[in-house]
Amino acid sequence: MEQLFLPVLIALTSAGTYFVGAKAAGLPARRLRAAVGKTLECAGLTLVFLGVNVAVGTTATLAVRSLLSTFVSLYPMADATLLGLSLLQAITFQWWRELSKLPRS
Amino acid sequence: MLGQRLLGLITLLLFFVSAFTPLPNLLARGASTSPRPGRADAIVVLGAAIHPEGVLNNSSFRRAVQGIILQRKGLAPLLVLSGASRNSGPAEATVRAELARELGIPPEAILIDTQGRTTQEEAVRLGELLRSSGSRRILLVTDSQHLPRAQALFERAGFDVLSAPADDFSSAAVEPEERLRLMRRIAQEITARLYYRLAGYL
Repeated sequence: MEQLFLPVLIALTSAGTYFVGAKAAGLPARRLRAAVGKTLECAGLTLVFLGVNVAVGTTATLAVRSLLSTFVSLYPMADATLLGLSLLQAITFQWWRELSKLPRS
Repeated sequence: MLGQRLLGLITLLLFFVSAFTPLPNLLARGASTSPRPGRADAIVVLGAAIHPEGVLNNSSFRRAVQGIILQRKGLAPLLVLSGASRNSGPAEATVRAELARELGIPPEAILIDTQGRTTQEEAVRLGELLRSSGSRRILLVTDSQHLPRAQALFERAGFDVLSAPADDFSSAAVEPEERLRLMRRIAQEITARLYYRLAGYL
């Protein structure tokens, strides 16, 4: 039961946000589906950025090890921070792409 | 865009399944080696990491204590501790040896190697050290996910390897954060095994 706490909490606050957004702020409910789609795009981009970061980081580390005979650890590639930074990259890229679709003012 | 959304859906599903179901626990059980303790010529405790100020990280401490307990139980006359230094700080093996002495292991029963920085380097260096001490049968101590790769390396180096994992994360990880951490460990170990195969170490 305790393990369901977080999913239930998120479901409740999401439902609350939907209610406040649709009723109080007047956001169109039909746009929510498109917003979920954009979120999925962002999540997909995060995985792409994470994969690229890990691949480039690992290659660079192994290259430094073999070319300079200096030991560099591969552990930073497994650091959870990399996921957060990849998410930031994905959000920024997503916004850049979205804003580029708007006509120039 | 559709492909990207599909990738996103897979990512989020993987996240939720990893955090809120026992999938990581099942995968961890499948990817680790069952404990096979027994009498050996030496207990070999592989390195994990040490903070620059000389404090062992959790994994390193857990492995060292496991090795010390096994030696005190009389499973082997020798305790071999591995672990290099980080930057200019003390070597992990040196700090572990000090801990072992303080917990009652006689100094003459402790061997250390402070140069091995990867599992492969440890297998090579400790292999030489063990052979020079006449050890053929070893009791290997490391994390459960790391054990199959390490065991394969030492077996390839000609040792009869018994195993004593220093953790049981497969059943201990029950909170979402712990399960995600376990999933990351599994992914990390799968990548490492793949690399070791490509590099010809396994």
